Amino acid sequence: MPKQGIYHFTFHEDNNKSRIHLRIDPDKNGLLIVNANRIIHLNPTASLMAYFILKNTQHEQAINIFTKAFNVSKEQTENDYAQLAEQLQELIKPDGACPIHDLSLEIKPPFSVTPSAPYRMDLAITYRCNNDCSHCYNARSRDYPELSMKNWNHILDLFWKIGIPHIVFTGGEPTLREDLPELVAHAEQNGQITGINTNGRRFSDPKYVDTLVRAGLDHVQITIESHKPDIHDSMVNSRGAWKQTIAGIRNALNSPLYVMTNTTMLTDNSPYLRETLEFLASNGVPTIGLNALIYSGRGLSVNTGIVESELPQLLNIAKEITSKHNQRLIWYTPTQYCNFDPMQLELGVKGCTAAMYNMCIEPNGDVIPCQSYYQSLGNILTTSWSNIWNHKLSANLRERKNIPQKCNACALVSECGGGCPLVMNISGNN
Amino acid sequence: MRRRLLYILLIFSLILLISTPVRAQSYSFQVPKLTVDVYWNEDGTVSVDYTFVFANNPSGQAIDYVDLGLPNNNYSDNNITASVNGTPVNDISSSGFQGEGGSGVAIGLGQNAIQPGKMGTVQVHVDDIRDVLYVDSQDNNYASAVFGTSWFGSSFVSGNTDMTVTFHLPPGVQPDQPKWHAAPGGFPAQPVTGVDDQGRITYTWQNSTANSYTQYKFGASFPMNFVPSTAIVKVNPFAGIGKFISGAIFPLLCIGGFIAIVASGFASNNRRKKQYLPPKISIEGHGIKRGLTAVEAAILLEEPLDKIMTMILFSVIKKNVAEVITRDPLEIKVNEPLPDSLQAYEKDFITAFQESDTNRRKELRDMIVALVRNVTEKMKGFSRTETIAYYRDITKRAWEQVEAADTPEVKSQKYEEVMEWTMLDKNYGDRTEDVFRNTPVFIPTWWGHYDPSFGHGPLRPGGTAVSTGGGVPRVPGADFAASMAMGVQNFSGKVVGNINDFTSSITSVTNPPPKVSTSPSKGGFKGGGGGGFSCACACACAGCACACAGGGR
Repeated sequence: MPKQGIYHFTFHEDNNKSRIHLRIDPDKNGLLIVNANRIIHLNPTASLMAYFILKNTQHEQAINIFTKAFNVSKEQTENDYAQLAEQLQELIKPDGACPIHDLSLEIKPPFSVTPSAPYRMDLAITYRCNNDCSHCYNARSRDYPELSMKNWNHILDLFWKIGIPHIVFTGGEPTLREDLPELVAHAEQNGQITGINTNGRRFSDPKYVDTLVRAGLDHVQITIESHKPDIHDSMVNSRGAWKQTIAGIRNALNSPLYVMTNTTMLTDNSPYLRETLEFLASNGVPTIGLNALIYSGRGLSVNTGIVESELPQLLNIAKEITSKHNQRLIWYTPTQYCNFDPMQLELGVKGCTAAMYNMCIEPNGDVIPCQSYYQSLGNILTTSWSNIWNHKLSANLRERKNIPQKCNACALVSECGGGCPLVMNISGNN
Repeated sequence: MRRRLLYILLIFSLILLISTPVRAQSYSFQVPKLTVDVYWNEDGTVSVDYTFVFANNPSGQAIDYVDLGLPNNNYSDNNITASVNGTPVNDISSSGFQGEGGSGVAIGLGQNAIQPGKMGTVQVHVDDIRDVLYVDSQDNNYASAVFGTSWFGSSFVSGNTDMTVTFHLPPGVQPDQPKWHAAPGGFPAQPVTGVDDQGRITYTWQNSTANSYTQYKFGASFPMNFVPSTAIVKVNPFAGIGKFISGAIFPLLCIGGFIAIVASGFASNNRRKKQYLPPKISIEGHGIKRGLTAVEAAILLEEPLDKIMTMILFSVIKKNVAEVITRDPLEIKVNEPLPDSLQAYEKDFITAFQESDTNRRKELRDMIVALVRNVTEKMKGFSRTETIAYYRDITKRAWEQVEAADTPEVKSQKYEEVMEWTMLDKNYGDRTEDVFRNTPVFIPTWWGHYDPSFGHGPLRPGGTAVSTGGGVPRVPGADFAASMAMGVQNFSGKVVGNINDFTSSITSVTNPPPKVSTSPSKGGFKGGGGGGFSCACACACAGCACACAGGGR
């Protein structure tokens, strides 16, 4: 019988590869995570069966284990096992059947299942940066203390033990850490899926991209603010940055990495959103990420944010263009649905997932609820994970205890959750 | 195999029951309200009354059995009664119990099983369970009474439960004598104290945002002399372990035996085979996609295309942007300018009718293809099964509104209001005829734009002439239903030609084989959810790691 913990499986079919994580919780319920993207909940029996199926256990042996351990007939076990195997086969395929429409899986309400640990951990390994964005959410000094590679490797091991399958290196600018390839390699050796959030400037060196690819890096998100060099350079406060970033995007696209861009829609660049997106499409970017201003760090005072009620117009443009070019559009920002409802634009259910699906580690090892919520829950090297995960702030965010009173009667509160807590914290937004 | 809803119910001070296996894969329900009255009797037994309100989700299977776990075998089936929605249940059997832990009773709801989408109240009374009190570990003169609420597997139950648990202490216990234990999280620290109609002291804990997948434990202690000494279970090897808040007099109390017996239960279970739960997979997302138009819902429901196009025709006529000039061949006149509020498929429909025959067929085909794709897009992240059930229910309720109308005038008015939804009924023609069998239909004002012959003679060949007596024109219901059916036939025969060929030309684009999924004569098709399109549900779902990945540095 499998023990509590996380198990990693890799499947190849044609030219496609699937990375599967099966996390078995202390209560024996399980979580199947497909390519760090699709989250599927399993009851204890499904967890156990999934384990045997993914391990390619001999069929008779698996059935015998069930009939010996459980009060169940061989016939029912075989039927259930076969059905689950069929469903799993579809779920783990890169272009497999839709779990909702084709497999008719049970649907649980959004955010109704509290995981035993985050699905993704963001490692802000440095706050140093070669850009100087006027809207940057970073609230720390650029020379913030940084842990050694040994410490980070220890942390990666700890997260693997906790059952976190997905690691994103961020910052600051993570590529300024020379040991980034080694950290990527260490996480990949554990079995974790790795990604980088970067301004892409170091990616302008194809050799550097190759180094990361060889380390095992899976995906990269590159921030690009505009198709116009002057707007981009002005927003990131660094002349010549656009040129390097665009070269970086192109180099990434020429590599095996899964590439997406991210653009913060502000008053500076949003008038040209259509042109920017067309430009990215012409460069072959397959996935476009968009977000609104994050109200943290300089974002609190930059005054270039777009009010939520004006987002639909911009996102309609984004939908139109990404649809035209068969690109995937990912909208990140949690909003108050009474101002902007992403479901109405078919952008999916977007709510705050801090301290639930994702958390962040600062360069010194402090754990914060998300990349831009600068309140320490404890230091990962000195505080027990249990205390961090069950910290009052973590629990409050997960349980959405601090949402505005007006939201309590709203029918959409379970999806919306009151929007981004950082916006809520700003006076007048409650 | 008998499919069962396994409801682990009682945890007294000596509970053995640990888990909540549910037999079938598709149970999905809520328990909006649960009320439990626990009577600690003067003979040292306990009696329990449960009233739980089930709301079975449309996607769930019928709740046909409720298995109640009990702490021991020291009770009699004859002392258990149950009812569902007030109807007594006769199928009560300990031997049929399939829950984990070995002790309990199966309640078979039989013909009163709670169907998907329905609510039901199940009441269970269990009398005189013995050996449920322990010596209070902090005071040998006190008896400890602990009760744990039942719970369902979190895979099957969702939503909040308004939970009320009331302890009725033994007769004779005085208000200053008993003490409550610590309340579980979410409940007020102190219960509401009171006196019941038998003069017994009561402690009541209430929480409107509890849930039914968590076990909540409540406890109280009272002087032992109110129950026979022989009724107290003396074993208490773990005295002093637990801490419980008392009332003002006793700061700390412990419940005796609880941990010991649970441990014993584990040991016992280990010697047996474990209870089997069928495997179950679930995903976070949205259940029902609300806000579809009737035409879009018709796509989702895979209604025949000729009917769907007739619905669009009604839609543009009702909006006064088009009117039928001739029904055979079907030609329409467009009232310019077109309002902006038209749906895209309505605009496409009007455009198609401005074309000649061959081009019109192609334009109509393109319109349907776009409509199917649009519905598919809208369904991303939503449950097709639950959404279909939702729109079927809207149709059902639409008919009920019409049928409930008192007078022919109101009936006709209601019918006009909800006509597009009634058309989603597979048998809407027959149903229309039935509903208006003995009453005339008061013709809506726009009807003349749909039927140019209206007012100029019989509504249909051989039919009854329109009567205008009393001001508003009216016709017999049967004639009205026949006229609507004729409209659909016009589409299938005279506008798009062979409806099966037309349908195939669409499914070949929207949803490769099978090309025609329903009966050939109906011209049905597959659309509105999955199939040939790339489905982005994974990202539309909430349980997706890409949520708020961070940017904006």
